[in-house]
Amino acid sequence: MKTLRAHPLHLFSGLLIWAVYYVVLYGGQGAGCAIAPPPAEAGSSTWLNAVLLLHTLVFATLLLYLAWLAYRSTPAERGNARFLLRTSAALYLLAAVATLAIGLPSALLPPCV
Amino acid sequence: MTEPDNLHQRFDKVWRNLPGWGALAAVNHTSVGRRFMVTGGIFFLIGGLLAMLIRTQLALPDQDTLSPGLYSQMFTMHGTVMMFLFAIPILEGAAIYLIPKMIGARDLIFPRLSALGYYCYLFGGIIVLSSLLLGIAPDAGWFMYTPLSNAEFSPGPGSDFWLLGITFVEISAVSAGIELTVAILRSRTQGMTLSKMPIFCWYILVTALMIVFGFPPLILASILLELERAAGMPFFDVAAGGDPILWQHLFWLFGHPEVYIIFLPAAGMVSTILPVFTGRPLVGYRWIVMAVILTGFISFGLWAHHMFTVGIPQMAQAFFSMASMMVAIPTAIQIFAWLATIWTGRVVYSLPMLWIFGFLFIFVIGGLTGVMLAMVPFNWQVHDSHFVVAHLHYVLVGGMLFPLIGGLYYWLPHFSGRMPSERLGRWGFWLTFIGFNATFFLMHLTGLLGMPRRFYTYGEGAGWDWLNLLSSVGSFVIATGVAMIIIDVVLHFRFGRKAGSNPWNADTLEWATGTPPPMYNFASLPEIKSRHPLWNQPELLESIPAGEHGLTQIEHGRRETFGTDAITGKLKEVMLLPTNSWLPLITAAVLAVLCVSLLVRSYTVAMVAAAVAAVFLFRWSWENGGHPKAAPLGDKEPEEAPLQSRTTDGSGLWGMVITLLADGALYLALLFGWLYLWTVAPNWAVPDESPISLPMMALSGLLLTGATWWYSGAVKKLKAGNDSGLESRFWVATGTGAAHLALLAWITFASPLATTEYTHDAVLFVMLMFLIFHSSITVIATGLQALRVRFGYVSKKLPYEPVVLRPMWIFTLAIFWCSVASFLLLPIAWGPA
Repeated sequence: MKTLRAHPLHLFSGLLIWAVYYVVLYGGQGAGCAIAPPPAEAGSSTWLNAVLLLHTLVFATLLLYLAWLAYRSTPAERGNARFLLRTSAALYLLAAVATLAIGLPSALLPPCV
Repeated sequence: MTEPDNLHQRFDKVWRNLPGWGALAAVNHTSVGRRFMVTGGIFFLIGGLLAMLIRTQLALPDQDTLSPGLYSQMFTMHGTVMMFLFAIPILEGAAIYLIPKMIGARDLIFPRLSALGYYCYLFGGIIVLSSLLLGIAPDAGWFMYTPLSNAEFSPGPGSDFWLLGITFVEISAVSAGIELTVAILRSRTQGMTLSKMPIFCWYILVTALMIVFGFPPLILASILLELERAAGMPFFDVAAGGDPILWQHLFWLFGHPEVYIIFLPAAGMVSTILPVFTGRPLVGYRWIVMAVILTGFISFGLWAHHMFTVGIPQMAQAFFSMASMMVAIPTAIQIFAWLATIWTGRVVYSLPMLWIFGFLFIFVIGGLTGVMLAMVPFNWQVHDSHFVVAHLHYVLVGGMLFPLIGGLYYWLPHFSGRMPSERLGRWGFWLTFIGFNATFFLMHLTGLLGMPRRFYTYGEGAGWDWLNLLSSVGSFVIATGVAMIIIDVVLHFRFGRKAGSNPWNADTLEWATGTPPPMYNFASLPEIKSRHPLWNQPELLESIPAGEHGLTQIEHGRRETFGTDAITGKLKEVMLLPTNSWLPLITAAVLAVLCVSLLVRSYTVAMVAAAVAAVFLFRWSWENGGHPKAAPLGDKEPEEAPLQSRTTDGSGLWGMVITLLADGALYLALLFGWLYLWTVAPNWAVPDESPISLPMMALSGLLLTGATWWYSGAVKKLKAGNDSGLESRFWVATGTGAAHLALLAWITFASPLATTEYTHDAVLFVMLMFLIFHSSITVIATGLQALRVRFGYVSKKLPYEPVVLRPMWIFTLAIFWCSVASFLLLPIAWGPA
């Protein structure tokens, strides 16, 4: 069964993944609008919305998986390892929530207006 | 003489500052931290005075106390002074003063860097303020928006003062960020695992890393704008292919995290003070750690909410709107944890607590108006109105000033050994609290009634008269409150009753140093067993000064502290700390000359100053490791653990990596600018043929790759204990690196770059200069390493320094090839925009 080793990098890696997601989301939206802007009258039913939504779901799934992994790897006894893994699990989970929340507009709004 | 007194005498002899003017050579964190705080306090008073002038002007309609031009200078300087010269430095000073004491260390890890940071701050602040005295202060707002701040619309030197002076000050912020990060990770006392670290250290760790990543975009933006103003390189000029909105992106990439860089240390003070005055541990330590880390990241994702009115597509606005609302979540977690701590504890209503209650009230209001402003349609309505001014003051004064003054009263006995006056202190609090709300609560209404920011006056009959008058009266009440606090602090040094050793019955180690603390903090370094050492091991108050714990050897005359594992807090090595040095002051003074010579456009003097500064900095690096002034081999080695110059994972390596993170952030900001202009700038133009020779760049890159490979191989052998031929290996790396550098310089200056005509070429020039700068430092430092091998300062028994330099080679190589790919190959693949 795959487990995570208690390491402080997990405290930051979830949100680093979120940051990469965010940069690609914002950059991708800008680049998509610069290269092949979908028509405004198409509303939110465009290829760009679909790509951004897919991007969101992939990253959110990855973060949820890591949250589950960190939670499952947390030892029962109190100590540094429990502190690191339990906090990391919460941070992975919150990074997933942040990903879904920020990706939400790509389901609702036209991308280039 | 008792044993503790005897020990104190011996430690004091090694750790004390030089007498008289020699105190300027002090590098000790206690001295440097105090200087930061006192200087920041003076700047606060100057910034406050500017605010009083602004409020005087606005008290009544149609006033002409200040002319429009002078009013613009006043509000620009008020924001600049408060943000850059007061808020950040005073919190840095508090962290510099407190962190080593809280983690059980004798000093910060790079003391000379702290001192350099202080002098850069002091000289930079004086340079910026001198513009006000000369009547030529910057007047384009504290955010220096282009095109208002460019040479056409701000032709005087005001903007140059801002760009050069503030960049100079930022050296101090970044150096403090690097220093505090490494100190917290690598110099905690034994037993202090990450989960037992004082909560304040978590706040400062996250803040320090935010500084490391947050300041470089502004440094880059300032360099670009100064190059545009002084050398005509059109980065923000639409006609030449630039874009003024790029400035806003780069500024707010710094500017929004900056709000949290200011808030988090202050919130750390709240989390430290609350448990002491509620008599119980903080509720939800782990939740708070999580919330602080979350804040650190999310706060980098909302910069564009300052730009909702510039024409960003709706969807992108919604991304930033969501992120802006999300950042309220970690803040709310902290507020609920604080309320739960108060709820379940026995509250002692002392002066520090009064300020904490004031903070909770004001900051929550500021947070709520922040959520309102995160909503795009509302933001459009109140943009650039006094509503925004009210909001930002509720956040910054509530979120930073109130906890800071709470912290001042809490740690005042630590600084002076005396207690403040409760009566004067309470007067100070209530006057400030009432005055603040009178000034700024009403300002929300003024804004909602439509009064714009930065207008020097207004006509009668708009409905703003009485609100402005009351706001101005409120501001004078605040001034009275601040005066009370100053009187209290000044008088307490003489009339305050003696504080004793731990007057608040606090739980953290800084109270075990004595009040006021000795320069070495702890005569012996303890092993701690819990998150609340002074509650669970109260005997430390006596056993530490009695020398009953670690590292009590001092006869060798060296300043030392423990280096421990970043996660477990297990002892790894003994860190050697530099003693008093004039180098930081001299280097900062030369950098100040560089700054002033750029201001007056005397470029020959600037080049000489830059060269002299480099000489001093390399001289600084020379007196390390096995140097006779540091710790040569066989010089009374410590008993507990090896000196870190005898190891390969010391604090220098950590410092280098953190520095390169800041450097990488600056490079990424440049890359962002390049890609942004490429996709967004309306007149972006790319020449049909690249002005840079790709084959020559490839050759230069191959030489750099070879030099890096050669150097890395030498370091690998050294770490394996083999130093044969080390000097010649380093010379080969130096020579190959120098050939790469010479070729790169030739490419840069021989290429037909039209840097004043096309933004494209100007960006390429900056990229090439960035590469030259890094290659130069790496090559020179490697040459010095070769010399140090010859002098016996580096060997298999002293392998520390070449290991520190290795990441620099790798970074230099990485940015070179990344630049070739992004700046030269990508445009070929993409084709002209």
